[in-house]
Amino acid sequence: MPSRSIDLPQGTLDLLILRTLSLEPLHGWAVSERIQQISSDVLRVQQGSLYPALHRLERRGWIKARWGTSENNRRAKFYELTKAGRRELEIEQHAWEKLTAAVSQILETA
Amino acid sequence: MLLHDLLFRLRTLLRRPATENELDDELRFHLERQIDKYVRSGMSETEAVRRARLEFGGLDQVKDECREARGVSFVETLVQDLHYTARTLLHSPAFTACAVLTLALGIGANTAIFSVVNRVLLNPLPYPNSQELLAARQNDSRPNLKDIQRQTNSFASSGGVNIEPMDFTGSGEPVRVHAAYIDAGLLATLGVQPMLGRWISADEDVKGGPRNVVVSYPFWRDFLGGDPHVLGRAIRLSDNSYTVIGVMPREFTLPKELADVFVSLWVAYPEAAPFRGVHFMHTYWRLKPGVTLTQAQAEIAQADHRLAEEFPDTEKERGTLLIPLHEWLVGNVRSALLILFGAVGLVLLIACANFAMLLMARAVARQRELMIRASLGARNGRLIRQRLTESALLALVGGAAGLVVAKAGSTLLLALKPAALRHFGTIHMDARVFMFVFAISLLTGLLFGLLPAWSASRGDIAEALRENARRTTTGISRSLLRSFLVTAELALALILLAGAGLLIKGFLRLRSVDPGFNPANVITMYLQLPGTRYPQIPLQTNFRRELLARINSFPGVEAAMVTDLPLAGNYVDHRVVIDGRPTPAVGAEPEVQTLSVMGDYFGVMQIPIRGGRDFRAMDREGQPRVAIVNEAFVRQLLPGQNPIGTRIDWTRSNEPHEWMTIIGIASDVKHSGLNQPVDPAVYAPFSQNDEAWRKWMTLVIRTRVPVAGLVKDVKKQVWSLDSQIPVSGIQSMEDLLAVSIAQQRFNMLLLGIFAALAVALAGVGIYGMVAYRVNQRTHEIGVYIALGAQHRDVLQLVMKDGVKLGLLGIVLGLAGAIALTRVMVSLLFEVKPTDPATLIGVALLLAAVAMLACYIPARRALSIHPMTALRCE
Repeated sequence: MPSRSIDLPQGTLDLLILRTLSLEPLHGWAVSERIQQISSDVLRVQQGSLYPALHRLERRGWIKARWGTSENNRRAKFYELTKAGRRELEIEQHAWEKLTAAVSQILETA
Repeated sequence: MLLHDLLFRLRTLLRRPATENELDDELRFHLERQIDKYVRSGMSETEAVRRARLEFGGLDQVKDECREARGVSFVETLVQDLHYTARTLLHSPAFTACAVLTLALGIGANTAIFSVVNRVLLNPLPYPNSQELLAARQNDSRPNLKDIQRQTNSFASSGGVNIEPMDFTGSGEPVRVHAAYIDAGLLATLGVQPMLGRWISADEDVKGGPRNVVVSYPFWRDFLGGDPHVLGRAIRLSDNSYTVIGVMPREFTLPKELADVFVSLWVAYPEAAPFRGVHFMHTYWRLKPGVTLTQAQAEIAQADHRLAEEFPDTEKERGTLLIPLHEWLVGNVRSALLILFGAVGLVLLIACANFAMLLMARAVARQRELMIRASLGARNGRLIRQRLTESALLALVGGAAGLVVAKAGSTLLLALKPAALRHFGTIHMDARVFMFVFAISLLTGLLFGLLPAWSASRGDIAEALRENARRTTTGISRSLLRSFLVTAELALALILLAGAGLLIKGFLRLRSVDPGFNPANVITMYLQLPGTRYPQIPLQTNFRRELLARINSFPGVEAAMVTDLPLAGNYVDHRVVIDGRPTPAVGAEPEVQTLSVMGDYFGVMQIPIRGGRDFRAMDREGQPRVAIVNEAFVRQLLPGQNPIGTRIDWTRSNEPHEWMTIIGIASDVKHSGLNQPVDPAVYAPFSQNDEAWRKWMTLVIRTRVPVAGLVKDVKKQVWSLDSQIPVSGIQSMEDLLAVSIAQQRFNMLLLGIFAALAVALAGVGIYGMVAYRVNQRTHEIGVYIALGAQHRDVLQLVMKDGVKLGLLGIVLGLAGAIALTRVMVSLLFEVKPTDPATLIGVALLLAAVAMLACYIPARRALSIHPMTALRCE
């Protein structure tokens, strides 16, 4: 195993997926690549846990899936954000910001 | 949101194969891209594959999680588990057969009894709004019924019925049929419409009304050829022509009476209809909506009071008691049925305990498999769920097999023909019975599967590994649970055994009661003379005398006749006055059974004459009237006197009395039942009778040797005297005796079967426990033997626990039996529910069974060879 990366806190995977998909529709592999790239390899998404999360979000109606052609010309399942997903992303993002702000404040002042 | 979720799940479920393929494609795409990425970064192909796979994790596990995330997992998992379970169960047929058989017996016995309970106690009666129907506990006369109807407001309608035999002639052999003499109100009260035609109307139910008849479905089918145009046809009943005006539907029966034809009492029996004092009708009442039983009862009490004041001669002691019809019908069956239902419930509990122990033993045997699956990442919840699937599946299969057992069982129940159930017709397995089986099976599977599943899944893997390696002991909790189950089984079995023992003892006592006559080799037949052709006593006497003379001329045969047979459920009673005694107040005279006889009745029945003399040929018409009384008569009415020579008469006779002189004392006969007290009875010769309405008689024929064709010969003689007289009720006195105790026999047999089942199951339970322990401790026992232990020591070692639990179970069971058998009092004959001999007896019996069940597997321990035992390490 390469450098030790941080395990995702419970529940944040959903937020990251929604955020990643808010820019453009992506297939699962691209989602995991994107998360890793953006986080400069600090966050390692356990690839196995990505798919259950995607299916769960799909069930909740926050993302929807369609089959399309990938950049290397293969059939792939693309996910995109729904309207409900966009709303959910805003709520979650807001909550996350509040949480981290509060935690940072405690860490800095206490 | 919720809707979306639901639709999504549904779609996934419906498109299952497609969804599966898509999932495969999606994950494969991911892996290919990842491998591709590594190859590009310069990794070797194999290394890339290895790396990608490793990072991804278990493919199947991810798929599982995806399915779960899509929300189809419950059904999916269930299907999977069922599939897996079915496969593993088929791999261990012995275990599966044991579990299914155990449950099939328990559930089957329960279902059989439940189907009876369902039919008798739970289903409403087959009349519209049957909850409004009441019955009066006492019979009444038609004039009283009419007066009460006029004087009360609580009832929408009411009616009465009396069943009398009628002779149906004109199609082959004359047939005696059951005729319901009714008043017009009865039909409206029960509220069942005829299938064809109409009921008898109120204006036809009058003196001299038209001779109309409504027939039952079986009568219409069997004797009228099921003719759809039968209305208006004339049929001959007891020498009169009746017009068929209606046919009842197939399922219709009167509440308690069997009837083939329905005629107006006024029309068919005008002699009895106007008599206020002849209380011979069963009466049924329908409450007006909104009226309570208490209100109706209060109103009828007032009516009773008025009648008593107006007609003190006959109505002074009125006290009409109304009860809901359903209660009236099931009253005497209810307690027996509920006790049997409780008993069979205990059998199911024992079966369930065995089932749980089987599952536990299996869990231990499969510990290794479970351990491996746990270490491969199967979660605890999932393992429990799988085990529950197994036990529920087993229980459902057991329940299905139980239905087969129940079907056979209820056929057996009906074959035993318990008299009290006769009125309820056939016992069906309806939807409610199936629901019962399904619910009870599922409950059994889940509840009794949960215990072992829970105890098996607990504990960490490391411990399981250790356990498996050493094969020494299992967890304390599991062994405690098993001990508890065995103890409970034995306790329950003892309670059942005690109940059965008490019933058997009571039944043996009942059967050994001397009926007062010798039933062996006596055949009986019932005849009734049609009133139209035999209106006067001399005509009747001639017929009887001639018939008896002819039958007595058969070789090897002795015949006599009596009005009503003992144990047949009928007799006529009269109030009696004794000459020289102060006359009691009107209506307070003692009542006695009155029986008319002809021929050597006491000789044929072998009823001993205790004093005085028997009737002789000279005791006939024109001679001084004589009577023979039974011992109960002497005890109760003439205590401490020599009754011979005392003169008696019926109170109804006109003054001056034509006294009958008591010439003899007959030994007591159990006329009303072996478990009933003997009532005072008076026998008088048919030929000295002054009651022309005693038109019926029962032939009693004792044959010294079995006579083939006797019945046919007797019928021939009857018909050579009068071709229009039906011969019916042909049965041996022994059959009659057996029928009279059939209900007790039924209860005893059933509880006996349940107890036997319980003992067998409990025996298997304790056997299984000891066998299991011997198996587990093979190594220990081997060492023990190697160290020089004697047979006795080894037996003691392995039997100790079983015997201890057995004894504990028996002691607890005894306490339970003493507490519970009290509910059986009403079913027992001359046995106390805590009869010490029975309780000790059944405790010893169960102890012996338990010892045997411990000893058989313990013997196996003796044959353990030390070397083998050590080698199995």
